[in-house]
Amino acid sequence: MAVARINKLELYVHKSIVDGVLASLQRTGSCEIIGREEDEGSVNPSMEKMQELDGYLSEARFLLRFLEPYYVDDVSSIARALGDKPEATLRELASLAERTDISSLAEKMRKLERRLVEIRSELSQIESLQTMLSNISGFPYPLELLSRGTDTTKGFLGTIPLDQVENWKIAIETELGENAEIYVGGYGEKDKEAWVSLFYLRELEYLAFDISSKHNLSKVDVSLDLLDTVQRETSKLDSRTVKLLNEEKVLHSRARSAAQKYVSLTRSLSDYWSILRSRIEVLDSGEYTDQIVMLRAWVPSDSVQVIKNELSQYEELVEILLSEPTEMDEPPCILENPKWAMPYETLTKLYGSPKYGAIDPTPLLAPFFFIFFGMCLGDGGYGLIMLGFFAFFLKKFKKMPSGTRQFFTLFVLSSVAAIIVGALTGSWFGDMVDAFPFLNFLKVIKDVPIVLNPMNDPMTFLAISLAFGVVQILFGLLVAFYDCLRRKDYIGAIGDQGGWIILLVGLLLIGGTVSGKLPSSLSLLGKALSAAGAIILVATQGREKEGIVQKAISGVLSLYNITAYLGDVLSYSRLLALGLATSAIAMIINMLSTLAGGIPYVGWVIGIVLCLGGHLFSVAVNVLGAFVHSLRLQYVEFFSKFYTGGGKLFAPLNYSPSFINISETSKDS
Amino acid sequence: MDLLGIMLAICGAALAAGFAGAGSAIGVGIAGESGAGVMTEDPGKFGLVLLLQALPGTQGIYGLLIAFFAILKVGLLGGGGAVTVNVWQGLGVLFACLPIAIAGYFSGIAQGKTSASCIQMIAKRPEETGKAVILPAMVETYAVLALLMSIILLNGIQI
Repeated sequence: MAVARINKLELYVHKSIVDGVLASLQRTGSCEIIGREEDEGSVNPSMEKMQELDGYLSEARFLLRFLEPYYVDDVSSIARALGDKPEATLRELASLAERTDISSLAEKMRKLERRLVEIRSELSQIESLQTMLSNISGFPYPLELLSRGTDTTKGFLGTIPLDQVENWKIAIETELGENAEIYVGGYGEKDKEAWVSLFYLRELEYLAFDISSKHNLSKVDVSLDLLDTVQRETSKLDSRTVKLLNEEKVLHSRARSAAQKYVSLTRSLSDYWSILRSRIEVLDSGEYTDQIVMLRAWVPSDSVQVIKNELSQYEELVEILLSEPTEMDEPPCILENPKWAMPYETLTKLYGSPKYGAIDPTPLLAPFFFIFFGMCLGDGGYGLIMLGFFAFFLKKFKKMPSGTRQFFTLFVLSSVAAIIVGALTGSWFGDMVDAFPFLNFLKVIKDVPIVLNPMNDPMTFLAISLAFGVVQILFGLLVAFYDCLRRKDYIGAIGDQGGWIILLVGLLLIGGTVSGKLPSSLSLLGKALSAAGAIILVATQGREKEGIVQKAISGVLSLYNITAYLGDVLSYSRLLALGLATSAIAMIINMLSTLAGGIPYVGWVIGIVLCLGGHLFSVAVNVLGAFVHSLRLQYVEFFSKFYTGGGKLFAPLNYSPSFINISETSKDS
Repeated sequence: MDLLGIMLAICGAALAAGFAGAGSAIGVGIAGESGAGVMTEDPGKFGLVLLLQALPGTQGIYGLLIAFFAILKVGLLGGGGAVTVNVWQGLGVLFACLPIAIAGYFSGIAQGKTSASCIQMIAKRPEETGKAVILPAMVETYAVLALLMSIILLNGIQI
């Protein structure tokens, strides 16, 4: 049901034209190359070409990584993701690639980047030097004394805890006396340490170190480049900083202009090389003789002719062999649905696509999802906001990728459902029409389509929700029943699904007659059906067990599953709960805005802000909730009856560029 | 005695908003910690992470909703003016608030943990976001059921 038929294609291609053939196949975008099963054997003959492309691609990646931060893109990344990309043909791209020397460009940019890094690191070095110098700004001698020393004297710079300064001074004076000189830098009240330096005769160095380390003095290295006085060195560093900053500015502007010039070019080229690479990669899965390459591919049956036409230009150099997939094969699946169900394919794919030849659940879940989303959101006003939002994007970005387009269309459809349910339940931004006096004139229009107000009569709405649940679960069982028949598993159909369907319908009839909703004449029918269903289940559910006792026990135990069905149905009560929650949150926002509006002077501002902000927040939260919960009902309650997924999607060899759109496809490339 | 009835109803509203909100706060917090970890690796996942972090936040909203319903019921909000609420009615409102208070608190935390794990999942497999959103929603079911029960109970109390 709506999974396209697929053929297996074997291509025998003469080596001389293999590139052209692959280009043709990639252009049609309608065949998925099958990987080789065993890994041994022939090696891809285009290994060199591949490595070359990988080299280009990595250069392009570097360029984009470096240049993109400088690039002022007139197309935002969201817009790009939604399909706002420049157009190009393969032929244009090829000549572009011909003309561009990406390696030398990358080399140039790499130099630029390296220099920028150097500047950065030097600047940070200077900064730390400056901090150090600022701490000893009153130092009276040239710094050479500290960094290099003279023939006879030497000195060092260090920090020492404030409470040690005096003791240290005394100790030095007593031990070294005239042979040493102390300098103590200024320190603020909050400082815990003082900057100090000590000069001494070279031969006393050991003693000076010893005393100092006893007083917790920690030495700070002074760079050998620092020779002049503190002030002069500081101003030297300042001018160096200015120079470096200027150079950096120049480099940045150079990078910016390079970005404007090369980013879009590099993006196009990176896409071009990716396309070529994916084409050559295919040869990994080929098999080779001296003259011939053999490729296997999956092709949808209705594209076979396209491929035959495409390859007819190579005449007898290509041999095509068609076959049906065998039992052993696992062909990919292509979902094929009527237009109205297409947006819902996204939901099937989210769960996992069906196996080849299995049922595609998309058209089956579509109407349910539509209704459920409508009930969960259940507000006309919010539906309108959603509709506006998604329709705007659909209109603005005509070239949206098909997956995104489907997703957006799904939301447009869902918002329509919400508007319908909102109209039927009289909920437009909750009770906005009633809450704000100036909107009261709309009440007449609003009241016309109202069928039911869930706020006043939640029980009826609950009953409707559960009824939808019963319908969907029975429908799911019917689908499984049909699927079993299709696969000629008659015992499974009657035992697993038929038994439950009969039992559940019987129980529903009994329930209906007991509560007086149905004529009591149906009571007997209900009892008979339930009994029949139960008997079928007891008789069939133990069929895989051995021995009559085992069979009977499993059969009877299987009836216990009735609780699972009960739980499934009750799960649909969320339709009521979420719908009510939306209206109630909206109602509360309206009420708060009205209350805030009563505050003198500024009230109307607060009221408007509360109303706008609140409703926007509420839309976001409730749309998310409605989507997730209506999806869950499909996945958990509905799919569990008949659908397992587990297939893989058709992934054809095609163009999948990330930055550009490949427009018309030229003949050669 | 009328006052006691109103106070009981307020107690119910406070429990609903307080506990459900606390559960959500813990849950969103757990998910956020995990999300921050993932984003240190890949800041580009902010959108997805935020989506998953927001999921355990609904319990707080449900709690707030019931709290509003409860005080609306006893006439503390809106233009209806004071309503006489006897002790039994007040007690009823208090009890009606309990489902969302209890389920909201615990499911918020549990959902937060699930969300945190799902955030880890999309760190490795961003293409599986659909599934990652469904798993926390499984937990939320019980908060939704509690919300439903609280609404029905509140609706059933005659004042």
